[in-house]
Amino acid sequence: MKYLLVLVYFLCYNTAFSQTTIPNITLNTLNGKSVKIQDEISKDKITILSFWASWCVPCINELDAISEVYEDWQEDFNMELIAISTDDARTQKRIRPMVNGKGWPYKILLDKNQELKRALNISTIPQIIILKDSKIIYIHSGYSPGVEDEFYDIIKENSN
Amino acid sequence: MKNIIALQLLFFTSITLAQNNSNLTVGFESNSQYYMDDEKTGDFTEENKFRSNNYLKIDYLISNFYFGIQAESYEPMSLLNYSPDFNQTNIALYYAGYKSKKIEVAAGYFYEQYGSGLILRSWENRQLGINNALRGAKVKFSPSDNIEFSALYGSQRSGFDVSDASIYGFNSEINISSILKVDTWNLDLGFSYVGRKEVNDNLVFNFNDLTNAISARVNFSKNNFYSSAEFVSKSNDGLIILQEVRNVKPGNAFLFDFGYGKKGFGINANFRRIENMNFYSERNATGNIYNQNIINYIPALTKQHDYLLTNIYVYQAQPQVSFQDPTLLKIGEIGGQVDLFYTLKKKTVLGGKYGTKIALNMSYWAGLSGDFDYENFDYGADTFGIGEKYFSEISLEIRKKWSRSWSSIFYYVNQSYNKRYIEETFGNVETDIFVGEATYKLGSGKSLRFEAQHLWTQDDKKNWTGATLEFNLNSKLAIYANNIYNYGNDDESKKINYYNLGGSYTKGAQRFTLNYGRQRGGLICIGGVCRFVPESTGITANIVLSF
Repeated sequence: MKYLLVLVYFLCYNTAFSQTTIPNITLNTLNGKSVKIQDEISKDKITILSFWASWCVPCINELDAISEVYEDWQEDFNMELIAISTDDARTQKRIRPMVNGKGWPYKILLDKNQELKRALNISTIPQIIILKDSKIIYIHSGYSPGVEDEFYDIIKENSN
Repeated sequence: MKNIIALQLLFFTSITLAQNNSNLTVGFESNSQYYMDDEKTGDFTEENKFRSNNYLKIDYLISNFYFGIQAESYEPMSLLNYSPDFNQTNIALYYAGYKSKKIEVAAGYFYEQYGSGLILRSWENRQLGINNALRGAKVKFSPSDNIEFSALYGSQRSGFDVSDASIYGFNSEINISSILKVDTWNLDLGFSYVGRKEVNDNLVFNFNDLTNAISARVNFSKNNFYSSAEFVSKSNDGLIILQEVRNVKPGNAFLFDFGYGKKGFGINANFRRIENMNFYSERNATGNIYNQNIINYIPALTKQHDYLLTNIYVYQAQPQVSFQDPTLLKIGEIGGQVDLFYTLKKKTVLGGKYGTKIALNMSYWAGLSGDFDYENFDYGADTFGIGEKYFSEISLEIRKKWSRSWSSIFYYVNQSYNKRYIEETFGNVETDIFVGEATYKLGSGKSLRFEAQHLWTQDDKKNWTGATLEFNLNSKLAIYANNIYNYGNDDESKKINYYNLGGSYTKGAQRFTLNYGRQRGGLICIGGVCRFVPESTGITANIVLSF
């Protein structure tokens, strides 16, 4: 019960202090290089962060679907998608051949021990975070086919 | 009450400190189940029909500093088959740290992974009931972009307490190619040390309190080729078999990986050999079913499936020494897997209008062969000897988009699962599994997804069939129904339908799911670690909130 009280307390008082930025956590590139996430997010582009894993079927459906229209999106807007893999050592080695084999055009980063995923309180994947000027403007978790059209609208609304 | 005061303190401290470059975030997750009696599978005979696991995490960031706390509540009790050490409500983790480009310092509870985790990994997985964070301190120092050193000292979390052993760690990562200012190829080296100090009070066997493990890694890539290797060696340690020290043996692991990729094609192969590589923060925790006190991470290197019937016979890595009876002797495993991904180009005969995506995986795992002395719990392993076959699998996935609104997935899996050796029971299971999935987009966010599955086997529980229907009303709301039916079971009373109905509502980072149904008993596996769950029927509710 006291647990609930604490929760309610926080719901009432803390909504103003929401997740607005991405904590600057170290990720790895496919080549094993360490990079800070904030250095990878372009300041003048709208950036989509997609948290996924190689074993997550809906995540792959989503990234496959976006790759179909990605060229058009990049033509229409100044935008970029960064696919952040949350795979751990079990499946991490499958990422590079998978990304190559599927011909995905995205920048891929590895969140090997799910440090960024944890820092953003992401419990389920896929999760999409859209950023403008490095500020979070939209979050969506789960994939429903066709939701990429909604992402397109968000990018459109926020592009000048 | 103490907890609330602590939380309030943190909250007010953060308010006072609040500035433009500060950020307060709150994450809450609740997983609850109401277990019900079931006329087919029997009454729920355990205590407390309603059980709930809850996690509240609060993080505060101010310039380069961070502070955080995680409270956990298992009231009135934790979900079935979670470790009994997860009980009641308490502060589970607290941490603070400083992070700059060159230096990182963390105190309190922290997570860490060295290399692939074969020597050390501490992480959290709430579905599996794993949180083996370390409590102590760690320091990371990067004198330049190419070199990183880190060191840690701590005790491992166990329930709401920590285990008795001390853990010491050191890690280094060096990028040779960038030191040499070469950019046509890439070469990284890694070296780690992990020590676990736990008092040896055994009167018969003589081994040190401190067990040392070292790891050396190399990672190389040039153009489209890449490869990596990792070697781990663990010093002499008490060998626990059937809950007692029976001998003193060292352990080791070797992992090799290579691959090639270009746009439209990718291939990757792994090879791994492990011998006596179980490593726990308390020797007595060896082989515990709750996945507590794990120091290193040894996942099964097989494809991780995402369909109901492909997850019945799941291979688990076999790093342990086990002397169950003279005909069931295990000292480790050897084997590998190959993955291949290929896209048939658009506007070709096989590729069609949208292209066709193919994924193939093959894996083979066997026990290590050697000389065994059953009476004295002793052995000598062959360097590359292949013993009893444990598992093999071939899977083929074909993804095809037919039109703007139709797309489908065909999935075939052939498995050979040596149940006697993997589960230490009896039998061998050969299966063929077929899954067909189709998605139809109805426009304006609505879509229908249908899955049909069948598992053929002459062994164990015989044939299964299954289906899933999912309806997305819009991007926020989805409902589903699925059922798997063990119609081939020889025992009439075991021909059971495992049906589930449910829905989910998502808004931003907030998510609510509700499910009613009957769950098949067996292993829940995430990332190669499995937790056994008993058969159960009931209502499940999950809440994820993030602010």
